[in-house]
Amino acid sequence: MKINIITLFIILCGFTYGQEMLPNIELKTLSNSTISTQKIASENELIIISLWATWCVPCKNELDAVSDLYQDWIDETNVIYYAVSIDDSRTSNRIKPMINGKDWDFEILLDQNSDLKRAFGISTVPYTVIVKDQKVVYKHMGYTPGYEEELYNELLKYSN
Amino acid sequence: MKKTILTIIFTYSGLIFGQEPSQSSYFAPVLDNLSFSFESISQWYLNDSYVDSQGVNSIGDEKLRTTNYLRLDYSLDDNFSAGLQLESYAPENLLNMSNLYNKDLGIATYYLQYQKKGTSLTLGHFYEQFGSGLILRSWEDRFLGINTALRGIRLKFNLTENVSLTTLYGRQRKGFEISKGDIFGVNSEINISNIFNVSGQGNFTAGFSYVSKNETYERIQNESEMEIPEMVNAFSSRINFAHKNFYTNIEYVAKSKDLRLNVISAANGASFSESKTFKGNALLWTVGYSQKGFGLSYNFRRLENMRWFSERSYSYTVTNQTNQLSINYLPALVKQHDYSLANIYLYQTLPGLMVENYQDPLIKAGEIGQSIDLFYKFKKGSIIGGKYGTKVNLNMSYWAGLETKYNDPDPADYVTSDNLTYESDFLNFKNKLYSDLNLEIRKKWNRKLSSIFTYINLFYDKAYLETGFYDKVRAWIGVVDNTYKFGRGKSFRLELQHLSTNDDARNWVGGTAEFFFNSKFGLYINDSFNYEESNNPVDTKVHFYNTGFSYAKGASRLSINYGRQRGGLLCVGGICRQVSPNSGLTLNFTTSF
Repeated sequence: MKINIITLFIILCGFTYGQEMLPNIELKTLSNSTISTQKIASENELIIISLWATWCVPCKNELDAVSDLYQDWIDETNVIYYAVSIDDSRTSNRIKPMINGKDWDFEILLDQNSDLKRAFGISTVPYTVIVKDQKVVYKHMGYTPGYEEELYNELLKYSN
Repeated sequence: MKKTILTIIFTYSGLIFGQEPSQSSYFAPVLDNLSFSFESISQWYLNDSYVDSQGVNSIGDEKLRTTNYLRLDYSLDDNFSAGLQLESYAPENLLNMSNLYNKDLGIATYYLQYQKKGTSLTLGHFYEQFGSGLILRSWEDRFLGINTALRGIRLKFNLTENVSLTTLYGRQRKGFEISKGDIFGVNSEINISNIFNVSGQGNFTAGFSYVSKNETYERIQNESEMEIPEMVNAFSSRINFAHKNFYTNIEYVAKSKDLRLNVISAANGASFSESKTFKGNALLWTVGYSQKGFGLSYNFRRLENMRWFSERSYSYTVTNQTNQLSINYLPALVKQHDYSLANIYLYQTLPGLMVENYQDPLIKAGEIGQSIDLFYKFKKGSIIGGKYGTKVNLNMSYWAGLETKYNDPDPADYVTSDNLTYESDFLNFKNKLYSDLNLEIRKKWNRKLSSIFTYINLFYDKAYLETGFYDKVRAWIGVVDNTYKFGRGKSFRLELQHLSTNDDARNWVGGTAEFFFNSKFGLYINDSFNYEESNNPVDTKVHFYNTGFSYAKGASRLSINYGRQRGGLLCVGGICRQVSPNSGLTLNFTTSF
C-alpha cells in the first residue's frame, strides 16, 4: 500500500511541474485587518512572498541581506516584497518592534495559524516564492548566505 | 529493511532530480488546480554505548521508523476546494512522539470548502484560532508531533462590513480517531474605528469569543453529592489599539468550573478531585512603541488553571507529553533560541492547576510573568554602526509560579483530600521560577564577513519546573556566530558556544561548522560537550554530536543527519517534553507542487 502511494506520487510529479496559481489565503495586517493573498497579487504585477519568523535565524539573515538591496530591487524591477510572519502568539508581539528595530522596509503580513504555510505545503521557514500575474513562478526553500543574489537573478527574468 | 531504505532513497533521488517541466501535459488543466506536498521523516536508531549505559531500553524492537505526510488540495473553481492528508507511521511513530498516531497508513484529515468573498463554509477537518489562541487554537506542528485539527463544520461570514463572525462545531483529532468531547465556538472581530469613522485617531479593533466543551465524566468515588459539570465554557474579550508608533493589546479569558487534577505520586498517576471544582482565567497585556531603527515592547501574562483538553484525562502531562487534544494554546513567552546550549534550560509554561502530593502538598495553580524586548539599530556611519549599521536586541523576562494558600479539611499523610480548596494572589511575583537576560548584537564587518554575538544570563528552578529533587540553576551562555561569504552562494559559518554554571551538569562547550558549496548544498557538523564531572548522571562528560548535509532545490529539500540526541527535557518552539536519549540516522525529505 505504501509503495502504491509512492508510485502514484512519482507519476504525479511528472505532470505537475510548472506554473501554478497562488493559493488564496486570508492574512492579517499589522493593524489587525484582513487581506487576502489574491488581493495583493492582483494589485501588483510582480511580488515576492517570503515566509519567516522572529525566532528563525536564517530568516532574519535573509531579510537583513535583502533589506540592504531592496531599494535597488524596487528601482529595477518594481517588485514588492511581502514578508509574511508565521509567528504565533508565543512570539508575535516581537514582530512590530523587530521590523522597526531592524529598519526593514518590507510589507509585513501575519499568518498566525500557518494557513498560508500549510497551503504552500511546507514545514520549515524561510520559504520564498516569486509571484507574477498571480502565478507562482519560482519557489525556494531555506536561506544560505549569498542566496539573495540568486533570488535577484530570478527576479530579473520575470521583470519586464 | 535494507530494501525499504533503498526504495526511499531511490524515490527521493528521483523526485529531486526528475522535475522536468512538462508544458504539454494532457493532464495539465486538471493538475493545475491540484497542489500537493509530501514530507517524510525516517529515523534509524543505532547502538550506542552511552545510550545503553542510561539503562533504559527506550527504543524497543523497531529500530527503523518512518513518518510520512501526503497532503492533497484540489480547487474545483474559485469557490470550491477539497483536500485530504494521508499519514503513515510505519512500523510505529518516531521515538518520543505520541502513540496516538499508530497506523501504517491512514486518512488523517479531509475537508470540503466553499469560499466566496468574506464567506466560507468548511466541512471536515479545519484549523482555527480565536484571538491569540488563549481560548482556542487547533493547529498542526509535525516537528512537535501535534495535530489538534477539529472535525466538524465551520462557517465564517461578515455580518456587516466591520463585523466578522466565525461559528464552529467539531470534535478534535485524536490520532486517527476523534475525541469524546464536543467543542462549540463563536468568534467575532469588530473594527470599531471604522464603525465610528474615527480612523484618524488610531486603529481600534475588538474581539469576543465563546468556546465550550461538553464531555461526560464517570465518577470513581460516590461520596460527594456535587454535580460534576459536563459543559465547561470559556469567554474571551480583547481590544487592540494602535496609533502611529504606539500599540497595545489586552485580552482576558474566563473559564468556568471544572475538576482539578490531583497527582497522587509519580507511580500511582493522576486522578481528579470529585468534590470541588475550580475556575480558570487568563490575562494578557502587550504594549509597545516602535519607529524606524527602534522598537520596544512589554508583555505581561497571568494564567490560572487554563490548561484545557477535549478529554480531561489528557491534562496529565506525564501521559500526554506532546499536548495532544489541547483546546487552547499557552506558549511560554520567553525568547526562543536556535543555539543548542541555549536550549538546555528553557522555561516551559505552567498554566494548569495541579496538586502534587508530598509531605507538604505543592499547589501549582498557574504562572505570572513579564518580558521586555528592545531593538535598536545603530545607524550607518556612526561610530558603533560602522559602514553597515549595527543591530542590537535586548530581551529580559521573569516568570513566577502563582502564590497560593490552600485549605484542606481532611488531610492525610502525603495525600490531600478532594475537599481541598485554594486561593491565589493576583499580583505576586515572589515565587520565581525563571528569569533571563538576552543580548544579541548583529554586526556586518564587510561584504563578506558578518557576526552575531549572543549573551544569555539565566535562572532556572529545575526542581519546580521538572518535578523532582534538583538544583536551582544559575548559568550564563556566550555564543559567537560568524559567517563568511565567498560569493556565488558559497559560504562558511562557524559558531562557538559556552555555558557556564556551577549547578546541575555544570559547564558545557559547543560549536557548529557549516559549509555551503552553493545555495543548494551544505554540510555541517556540531557538538555539545559537557566537560566537567557533576552530580548529574545523565549529562556528565558526554559528547552530543551531529553531522549531516542538506540539499534543497525549488520547493524540495532533503537532509540527512547522523548523531546522538540528549535525553531529558527537549525544548522546541517553547514546548518542552521529556525525551529519552538516542543515537542514529535521521532522514528528512519534503517537497511540494
